Amino acid sequence: MLLVQILVNGVLLGGLYGLMGLGMALVWGVLNVVNLAHGALIMLGGYLTYYLFTGLGIDPFVALPIAALGMFVIGYCLQRFILNLIVRSAMLNTLLITFGLSVVITYLAQLLFSADFRTINPTYSGANFAVAGITIPVVSLAAFVIAFVLAGAVWWLLNEMTIGRAIRATAQNLTAARLYGVDPRNIYALTFGIGAALAGVAGGLFGILTHLTPYVGATLTAKSFVIAIIGGLSNPFKVILGGIVIGVAEQLASLYLGPTYIDVISFGLLVVVLVVRPARSLRAA
Amino acid sequence: MIRLAIILVGAAILACLPFFTGAVFMQFAINALILAVLTQSWNIIGGFTGYVSFGNSTFYGLGIYGTAVAMVKFSLPFAVGLGCGAVLAVLAALLIGIPILRLRGPYFAIATLGLAAATGALVSTIDLAGANTGLVLPLVRADTMFYELALGLLLVCTLTVLWIATSRFGAGLVAIREDEDAAATMGVNTTAYKVIALMMSAFFTAIAGGIYAYWISFIDPSSAFDPTLNVRMVIMAVFGGPGTVLGPLAGSFILSAVYEVLSSWISTAAALLFGIVIVLAVIFTPRGIADVLVGVRRHGWRYLTRNIRENRL
Amino acid sequence: MSAAEPPILQAKGLTKRFAGLVSVDHVDFSLARNEILGLIGPNGAGKTTLVNMISGTLRPSEGELAFKGERIDTLPSYRRAHLGIARTFQVMKPFPGLSTLDNVAVGAMFGTGGGEKSRAKAREKAREWLEFTGLGNRLEASADSLGGPDRKRLEFAKALAMEPELLLLDEVMAGLTAVEVDQVVELIKKIRDQGVTILVIEHVIKAIRSLSDRVLVLHHGEAIAEGDPATVLENPQVVEAYLGKRRA
Ligand SMILES: Nc1ncnc2c1ncn2[C@@H]1O[C@H](COP(=O)(O)OP(=O)(O)OP(=O)(O)O)[C@@H](O)[C@H]1O
Ligand SMILES: [Mg+2]
Repeated sequence: MLLVQILVNGVLLGGLYGLMGLGMALVWGVLNVVNLAHGALIMLGGYLTYYLFTGLGIDPFVALPIAALGMFVIGYCLQRFILNLIVRSAMLNTLLITFGLSVVITYLAQLLFSADFRTINPTYSGANFAVAGITIPVVSLAAFVIAFVLAGAVWWLLNEMTIGRAIRATAQNLTAARLYGVDPRNIYALTFGIGAALAGVAGGLFGILTHLTPYVGATLTAKSFVIAIIGGLSNPFKVILGGIVIGVAEQLASLYLGPTYIDVISFGLLVVVLVVRPARSLRAA
Repeated sequence: MIRLAIILVGAAILACLPFFTGAVFMQFAINALILAVLTQSWNIIGGFTGYVSFGNSTFYGLGIYGTAVAMVKFSLPFAVGLGCGAVLAVLAALLIGIPILRLRGPYFAIATLGLAAATGALVSTIDLAGANTGLVLPLVRADTMFYELALGLLLVCTLTVLWIATSRFGAGLVAIREDEDAAATMGVNTTAYKVIALMMSAFFTAIAGGIYAYWISFIDPSSAFDPTLNVRMVIMAVFGGPGTVLGPLAGSFILSAVYEVLSSWISTAAALLFGIVIVLAVIFTPRGIADVLVGVRRHGWRYLTRNIRENRL
Repeated sequence: MSAAEPPILQAKGLTKRFAGLVSVDHVDFSLARNEILGLIGPNGAGKTTLVNMISGTLRPSEGELAFKGERIDTLPSYRRAHLGIARTFQVMKPFPGLSTLDNVAVGAMFGTGGGEKSRAKAREKAREWLEFTGLGNRLEASADSLGGPDRKRLEFAKALAMEPELLLLDEVMAGLTAVEVDQVVELIKKIRDQGVTILVIEHVIKAIRSLSDRVLVLHHGEAIAEGDPATVLENPQVVEAYLGKRRA
């Protein structure tokens, strides 16, 4: 029974992880930028939700789309006015600049929000129900469902909408995209904005399920990265699946080996996946 | 040979510094020297070979722990401890390098990042290594000795890099960086070269770790395997000019100083400003300050905007 | 040279499959010392794939490959380079950030027999090869600043600096003007006169005709004809597979 409970916890947590990986994978796949500020954006989205809730009294789940919108604007501007200036230089430089941004965001957050732990704590945060003896927290379930809905939305956007096709064309070939009459600068900014919005939602959920500090970004970046790699960059649902794999693996590791092994497991998995799986297959977006 | 002269004169001047400065400055200087060694070591694998390693903090941690365990648990002298740490790190580079150096681009970068995190977590479960709580080394108050040691190590490391920059071996590494497939068909034993470069990088990194461990005299897994330290190495090398001999030195000294000044001036916002410096540096000087010196001479200050025009969308 | 000398290169049943697609299909051929073999065939025939297997860039799925009588099909590329096999890449692979001199010096430093161990001497040799290929006035130019024809010359010089016994040329004339093609043809003849065995892949039929001692035609991965240029180029099967398509 304990094992089943652990598995359920892992799967539910994995949905949120997958959502974290989703924005990372989208930006990576389309812009070919490994965004080391992704975790910091998640953190920022968490704080946005937190202040909408505590400051304005908006229910966290209602606040999520507002936070997402805010994060979209921030992401759009970051790409449009900063990252677009260097996207064509070496990969190392995109890694560095996004790392620099993550430092800036982290310490801005520390100045603005202080280093204290924050939790988004609505009245129903402890609510749960039981199915066949398995406890299911309502909030975790909601996070899981939201992750799937958003993965579906991203899939729909990329495959069914004109703007999505423009994004995919840009991902494949910049010059060709120009010929189709789309401005890649705008498309890049939009894509990064969507990535940031997804990060924002993930951050809000993260704040409800655990707690926020300004420094949580680095770990979340690493986790999102692992998940994007395991899930691949081409299919949003596979990214969620990658999140679930990591979620389950972490829960199992902490049950059988102890919590210190959580990182060993997720990174060990990462290394195995990377070495076994030919790198070429990853970027098929 | 101008570079050799600069290195030797610079080292001689730095060697005299402890006789004119105070204890506070020594603290800063030892830290800066160790960071410079780490940056210069990273330069071997990251700058010359083009493999962006985030696993050098693994080698640093192994150097720290190799030295500390040898001294604390086996009561061996410091020099032997340094050797243990170095052997451990070089072996790790060999074993890890063979599978992982097959990965390219960001895949290599992230696999190494994963390794550093995993090694740190593993070490924290080993009782011999003090598990989570860490180890306390015998305390010595000899800042001048540590300073001269770190400086000596930096000198040897930089001379090694100078040799790489002018040798056939280094030409092979650079060929790998520029186009690995072409290098292989032209006769470069790419696997061996990459692994050897990683082992050299690991060697100097581990010795620096050993010196740091004895100097700081208390170590634990989270500080020994700190991945942000690795990010600092990358930033300093790239800021100065990766794949050059003097660039990484300039980059690490300048950024260490900037950070020191910022944190004494406005302690709360130092890290924030540091982040802004990185962002601006990438935008305006994407090939490092070594390239700025050349570029400004050729194009004047328009060099800076030229970089943007070249790299923007 | 004794009559019993094994061929420089001998391929038996050489095959390469990519997920479902057979791009080289049981090809047999051999190259005698100091011969020039023209390898032709329509786009996608498998010519580059064949060269990739000889240079070690790709492992054959099946078949044997022997260089001077010794099996090489499991050796890594760099070992084959040390044995004396050099190639150019159809999609050129300069070392973009290096000067042309440093580009070519890599060939001199690591080529046949492991190359020249002294970096200074290697650069000296590189300078000579750059002059030989007509790039003597661009020694310090960075490779990515070169125009198309100069890049081809650079690719050539890099391979030559390895001082190979067997040289594989993959479409070194594509995109050149008629005058430039003639220059390259002369260059290849000069190289052959130095004792090098050469395999030329080329779509410029005029060049193939004037260069090759023998021609091998690939079509859908299979060798459909082989022999002296005049006969092979008139072979109706070849004309249909290749020339006909081109003229159409
Ligand atoms: N790495 C690869 N993976 C999958 N298929 C490949 C690969 N390399 C080549 N092919 C396929 O093998 C076939 C032969 O390609 P190859 O490049 O050898 O042709 P080619 O004769 O050199 O053509 P061209 O005259 O256009 O250069 C083509 O259909 C190509 O798509
Ligand atoms: Mg071809």
